[in-house]
Amino acid sequence: MTEEKKPEERKKRRTATEAAASIGPMVKAMITDVQKAREEGKPIAFTFIACAYDEIIRAMDIVPSWVENYAGICGAKRDAQRFLERAESLNFSRSLCTYALCGLGFDSWREELGEMPPDAPWGGQVKPTVMLGSGQILCDPRNKWFQAAQHYMPDVPVYDVSLPYPAYADDYDFHETEGYYVKHIVEQLRGLIDFLEEQTGHKMDWARLEELVDLVDRTYDLIVDTYDLRRAIPTPMGTGDAMNTMVPIQFMMATQQAYDFFTNLNAELKDKIARKEGVIEDEKYRLIWGGGLPSWFALGDFNYFNSKGAVFPVETTYRTLESTRDFDIDLKKIKDPLEHIAWRWVKTWTYWYDKARKRPGSHPDVERLIQYIEDFKIDGIVMHEAFSCRSWHVGLIWQLNHLKKIYRDMPSLILESDIIDISSYNEADTRARIDAFIDTLEAVKDR
Amino acid sequence: MSAENSTGGLAIVDKYYQGYGSRARELKKQGKQIMGYLCAFTPVEIITAAGFVPFRIKGDVNEPITKADTEMETIVCPLVRSWFDMSLKGKYEFLDGLVISHACDSMARSKDIWKYTLGLPYFHFIDTSHAIDDSSLDFFVSILGTFRKSLGGFIGQEISDESLAQAIRVYNENRQRIWDLYELRKSDPPLLSGAEMTRVLVAAMGLPVQESIKLLEGVITEVKQRQPAVGAKLPRIMVVGAEVDDAAFIELIEDAGASVVTDDLCPGGREYRAFVKTEGDPVAAIAERYLRGIMCGRSYVEQKGTYPEYLEQRFGHIARAAKEYNVDGIVLYIYKYCDPFGFEVPAMKSYLEAQGIQVLYLEDEYSMSTVGRLRTRIQAFLEMLGTR
Ligand code: SF4
Ligand code: SF4
Repeated sequence: MTEEKKPEERKKRRTATEAAASIGPMVKAMITDVQKAREEGKPIAFTFIACAYDEIIRAMDIVPSWVENYAGICGAKRDAQRFLERAESLNFSRSLCTYALCGLGFDSWREELGEMPPDAPWGGQVKPTVMLGSGQILCDPRNKWFQAAQHYMPDVPVYDVSLPYPAYADDYDFHETEGYYVKHIVEQLRGLIDFLEEQTGHKMDWARLEELVDLVDRTYDLIVDTYDLRRAIPTPMGTGDAMNTMVPIQFMMATQQAYDFFTNLNAELKDKIARKEGVIEDEKYRLIWGGGLPSWFALGDFNYFNSKGAVFPVETTYRTLESTRDFDIDLKKIKDPLEHIAWRWVKTWTYWYDKARKRPGSHPDVERLIQYIEDFKIDGIVMHEAFSCRSWHVGLIWQLNHLKKIYRDMPSLILESDIIDISSYNEADTRARIDAFIDTLEAVKDR
Repeated sequence: MSAENSTGGLAIVDKYYQGYGSRARELKKQGKQIMGYLCAFTPVEIITAAGFVPFRIKGDVNEPITKADTEMETIVCPLVRSWFDMSLKGKYEFLDGLVISHACDSMARSKDIWKYTLGLPYFHFIDTSHAIDDSSLDFFVSILGTFRKSLGGFIGQEISDESLAQAIRVYNENRQRIWDLYELRKSDPPLLSGAEMTRVLVAAMGLPVQESIKLLEGVITEVKQRQPAVGAKLPRIMVVGAEVDDAAFIELIEDAGASVVTDDLCPGGREYRAFVKTEGDPVAAIAERYLRGIMCGRSYVEQKGTYPEYLEQRFGHIARAAKEYNVDGIVLYIYKYCDPFGFEVPAMKSYLEAQGIQVLYLEDEYSMSTVGRLRTRIQAFLEMLGTR
């Protein structure tokens, strides 16, 4: 039976930094902690990344179970197919977000068995106490997935936090709308706290929340400083590693552990720069990972790029934060922690708007690419179009076209596959396309 | 010839259905300004109050998507891709602007592709929240306030409360006429076929609202004069899904030997169910109708009560319509890459089946070349209904 089939795991990828190499055990510990929490009867929340509730759940001592992370692990272990197939057998289309399909396939199976599915990766994803979805412009599955999951866990309540941010517009000044966005978000977060208090019996520790809000500001700034170190030539860290170091950003925000992780990474990168130690010795092409979530089962492709003399000093993916010091408001003056979170959210997502306005015809997403291209001395752009996620993968072609129109032409490559559905991936084809892209880079360089 | 000076409602429907956009093109030549929009979540009352003719972008299942792929990823739902393809091919060259609402990822994530590629004089994105709770409704009132101001800025004149109130009244009347027509489908066999109804709905969405009302009245008069058909009764089908702006799929079901008697679709039952309140602040009334009145998979309904009660909250209106129209089976027609509806399928299907309604779930790609593949499954479903 297909569901029993468990394909071979992929080999461990070679990382450039010690920090990235330490991520695997951290993730494993995170999953084990959730399993332990379940045994101890602590409240567990199914959570999504980039939902602005990190400080809230930490301050309320609720254990987050990051569903995208677990699906990603299944994908990285090349063991997602049986869960995807199960979701399909339940009438979920295979064209939907495969993280969600994997999670739904897993959860429904566990509920049916009354125990973890056989050989569940890293011990499995436990049943949560609550599920915290989010209605936002980031993606539809964020407000559909948990609602769908409830069909298999009808006793687990869902709370959906509305988290919009202003769109980039020419026909009005978005600054005029910020106030009502913030007001709405604050009310939504307050509703979330009420819900969590009611469902879990845990009370909000407001003093703790304030501390964590400050910790997150400092972590944001530290991460930006640390990633900026990658401008060095040769670059001490590439996107392959950043797909590991996204773990503390996305799943550990509002913890001292995340802050400490980046303190160590910062020191490690400075040390490498001092010793002129790069990801590869002879950097021929500096590339930007300009969009798209990675194929978790094929992170080895980053090493393949390296073997051709190409490095990725920067990426847009998982950089869902900006330096709070650069905001056009003084965040420190906003004492109410929920308002503080709301303003940080709005300012982060609109960070590139004013910059884009200064260049005729520009757009924030394109402006960000231009800035990174210049700051990190980039020769070419690589993107990945994951078929199952419209959120991060619609607009990539247009961005490249627009970049060419308002800035300059640049060699570019759009890889096509998925985040975890390995059936969409062909290694030989992918590598042939990478080879052809390298040839183009070479030709442009020789010109 | 305009809708006003013609008789024979269904003949005009055919003309406007076949030549979708022809009336808007004529009006443009006469100096009217035409505002394009996507999907039922765009508050056409505000556009009308500003003096524009709102024009809903439509796709074409017979037209292969050839141009859209140079700018838009193929992972966008095929309906939106077809809309965009038609727009790129100059089918809607008369537009003065475009309004896109945050209905789903396929629309929201592609908004800048539309905006920059078409380069129309006006563009606005309406950030409609998924949630429909009180704070979301307040927020949406502000969002619509921004839209009203922006559109007013474009025409160089504020949009008055009176013009909004007037627009609300005519759109409500339009909705009422549509329901009057739905009534005529309750008889067995229905006086109007499902494919005819779809053509009426599509033709109407490309007309100024006053002309739409006239057109609907003409159709109602014509249909009422029909003699009830005699002979074998066909299975009565309800179609549920996202937006169906082409009659091909409905024809397919009816050609297989059934009558499509009602639907939960856009344009259709879902879109026209809710009216705008005529008292109080017009923008608040519009906000409430769009956010809470349109019961769409893209919206998030907060759970009240037990899980079975929650299913009733989300899908009860479909079961009620099925009962009201004496439906024998439901075809759940979902497009590939549609997350809002795709994630609903198991819950919706099991809820409806628990109400004793037979459900056929079909996934499709909004293309005549794929619609044909569904024929066998539809025939089998109808046979199954026939033997019950
Ligand atoms: S952002 Fe993409 S991958 Fe993540 S949950 Fe949404 S659709 Fe899925
Ligand atoms: S069919 Fe689905 S994805 Fe497509 S426009 Fe409608 S709601 Fe959006």
